[in-house]
Amino acid sequence: MGERERRLDEIRTQRSPLENHLIDELRSGHIGRREFIRRGTVVGMSVPLLGLIASACGVSREEIERKDPAQTGTPQRGGTIRAGILQPSGALDPVTVADQGGLGVLGQSGEYLIWSDRDLKAQPRLAESWAPSEGGRVWRFKIRQGVKFHDGTPMDAEDVAATFNRLADPDAGSNALSALGGVLSKDNTKAIDASTVEFQLDAPNGNFPFLTSSDNYNAIILPKDYDGDWEKTFIGTGPWKRSAFRPGEGVSYVPNREYWDKDRIPISDASEVRFYSNEQSEVFGLLGNEVDILVQFSVAGGKALLTDPDIRTIELQASAHRQVHLNNSTEQFKDKRTRQAMALLVNRRDLVDGLLDTKSDFGNDSPFAPVFPSTAKDVAQRQQDVRKAKELLAAAGQEDGFRVQLDGWNGFEMPDLAQLIQQNVRQAGIKIDLSITDAATYYGDATFGNSRWLDSAMGITEYGHRGVPNVLLGAPLLSKGTWNGAHFKNARYDDLVKDYTAAIDLGEQRRYAQQIQELLLDETPILFTYFYYYLTGAKSDIANVDVTAMGHFDLSRTGRVKS
Amino acid sequence: MARFIGKRMLLSLITLVLLSLIVFIGAQVLPGDIGRSILGPLADQRAVDALNERLGANESLVSQYFDWIGGLFTGDMGTSLAFRRPVSDVLGDALVNSLKLAIIAFVIVVPLSILGGVYAALNEGSKRDRFISLGGLSATAVPDFVWAVLLILVFSLLLGIFPVTATAPPGSGFFDQVYYLILPAMCLVFVLFGYIARMARAGTIEALDADYTRTAIIKGLPRRTVVRGHVLRNSLLPTIAVVATQAGYLLGGLLVIETIFNYQGIGQALYRAATQKDFPLLETGVLVVGVVYLVATLIADIMYSVLNPRVRLGGEQ
Repeated sequence: MGERERRLDEIRTQRSPLENHLIDELRSGHIGRREFIRRGTVVGMSVPLLGLIASACGVSREEIERKDPAQTGTPQRGGTIRAGILQPSGALDPVTVADQGGLGVLGQSGEYLIWSDRDLKAQPRLAESWAPSEGGRVWRFKIRQGVKFHDGTPMDAEDVAATFNRLADPDAGSNALSALGGVLSKDNTKAIDASTVEFQLDAPNGNFPFLTSSDNYNAIILPKDYDGDWEKTFIGTGPWKRSAFRPGEGVSYVPNREYWDKDRIPISDASEVRFYSNEQSEVFGLLGNEVDILVQFSVAGGKALLTDPDIRTIELQASAHRQVHLNNSTEQFKDKRTRQAMALLVNRRDLVDGLLDTKSDFGNDSPFAPVFPSTAKDVAQRQQDVRKAKELLAAAGQEDGFRVQLDGWNGFEMPDLAQLIQQNVRQAGIKIDLSITDAATYYGDATFGNSRWLDSAMGITEYGHRGVPNVLLGAPLLSKGTWNGAHFKNARYDDLVKDYTAAIDLGEQRRYAQQIQELLLDETPILFTYFYYYLTGAKSDIANVDVTAMGHFDLSRTGRVKS
Repeated sequence: MARFIGKRMLLSLITLVLLSLIVFIGAQVLPGDIGRSILGPLADQRAVDALNERLGANESLVSQYFDWIGGLFTGDMGTSLAFRRPVSDVLGDALVNSLKLAIIAFVIVVPLSILGGVYAALNEGSKRDRFISLGGLSATAVPDFVWAVLLILVFSLLLGIFPVTATAPPGSGFFDQVYYLILPAMCLVFVLFGYIARMARAGTIEALDADYTRTAIIKGLPRRTVVRGHVLRNSLLPTIAVVATQAGYLLGGLLVIETIFNYQGIGQALYRAATQKDFPLLETGVLVVGVVYLVATLIADIMYSVLNPRVRLGGEQ
């Protein structure tokens, strides 16, 4: 037995069956390095340990902890780093924040149990470690000790429990309720002792750690006596402390010198987050040197940045996408062959190249984006096939085509997507009447019977990035899903999602994922045509820009590189 | 004069009540509610209901309206539902910003366009007249957002003379603030110059043709005296009315320019309030803009009556 094997055996004797299974998956080649690290962090293994195991399995640590070449360079200490984001749409309250601007601000002074990083790895922050029991129904988190809120109060397990019970409270007006619904109920988070929190879930959930992470952006840990007026203090445990807040204009921060992680005490003297009311102003802000970093821009709105030699674009693979639902209860789309034909008529290559300048992955008509480790990679990609589409339409008695209204709202590239789909399906005699309104009209009351989104025959809806597909598999597609504009009702699908959600093991998740992907390809209730990348713009002399596709940005290590 | 002003103020009050009723009725047809607007379309309905309850938005709009009216009488404008800050704070900041921009634009555009219009009229038919008239008309025909983008591209990004935003850094002095507001003010100058100059030109030409001007010239008065004493006094009457109506636009109607220059003025505050169904903010904001319109019109009427005694006498008769 070689030294490497002996070292691996030593490690394995101290690991749980679940962790050992993951190691087996790596050794057998069923999962790659990247998936091993991602999944390992979710079940509570630390990145250094995963690196050690991977190294013992013949994968060097250097290969895993790769560096983005665009991010290299040693930043200088001092100065002020300025980032531009969209203006938060309402009061900054961690419980109710529901937009990109708001979540960007929460992540500066606030902190999560886990940081879901740009590679979807779960990095310990206020939680030191975590582990499931009872088949994933119960999760215990070890809470870091010695951490203080910005007012000097120590943070403990009771603060963590209070934070999650507040978010799961149906009477709190919590934005996180939609993510926690059916997973974690109020009062089911308990502080066992000062450093241990136990989550008793409504049902087993293998991806639960992501719901405690920065992916669930409302979940910054707040003091147990939080009174709802966060704007007064911006209280948190993060590396930045608020120095000034100018409503509508921005926030200024200074480093939190008492921060628990000495390696992440900001290297800059200050940071500023500036608010912009629209993307065009954001782009002007970066081009006009008003900010150093534009946290997110789109291909359509930021073409000038993509070609500017002084701007470095950071691209992150993401799960953000547009869903084109085909209402299964309508005359036009009740036959799955018609729905399949619609999907086969769409030229995805044109969409990705034309709308997104290739900065996107192809969608395969399921929420399983290529970025998710659990996505089954060997399900064949659906391609445009006009001949087959016409055959399917003929078999469904729709050989002469039909007329249908496509609803949507005037945001991002969605009107262009609607037009391209309209052109694509015309070749099979299908006539689409576009009805593009404002967002408020499209969503209406967001309940069945009172919403174009949920009542239309065909509609385009935008969905942001998620670190795991659970939410996307649920509300838009489950028979009783509250966002199910497709009116898709399939008992087998519901069962598969339940099984997938409960699975802790990555191999098991992939097996269910494959069945779900194949079922959705067959049924085609929704067209998922692309998953677009998260784009960040930074001045070329700015290094260590750490962003995630969720919209978080960590400026603690960001600084200017000496020219 | 006092009776004239009193009568106008009474009419203004009635107008404001009608205005608040129109906004109230309009708000009822807007889709969605504040809770849904804050939490987004994907939020759990229980959370939306709870938030609406907490914000007092579950009460009927009629009840909200009378609460708001009752508050106004005690000097309380209410609390913005979306921002959870006193409406007076939200609108106060926005109003100050809008006033700064409006004053700078006003100070540039009013004398410039009146001088331009009068100069064109005095040189009617000449190349200078055509240059001012056609140039002004062309500038006005270009939409404000085109001017805004064009000015930013040329003066901010290409030449680097002016900042891309209108918001000066915190703690900036008077001149810095003016510097930041030059580009958006120039947009307004381009948009308004043609309109005001055209009115001034038409009024001046009409006055130049009038019998009293001809009589003054025949009497042998110097041209400068005729223009200053007889022509301008009469020619500016319609221009004053136009300028007064633009005052309201300059304060409350600059949404596009505020958006492009990332400036937190009344226009943006009202737009957000309308899209989010933030009733107290929307009602009060519209009322503030209404008051500005009415005050500007009242000032214009007073100036009108000072310049033209027939208006004043008519009011008294």
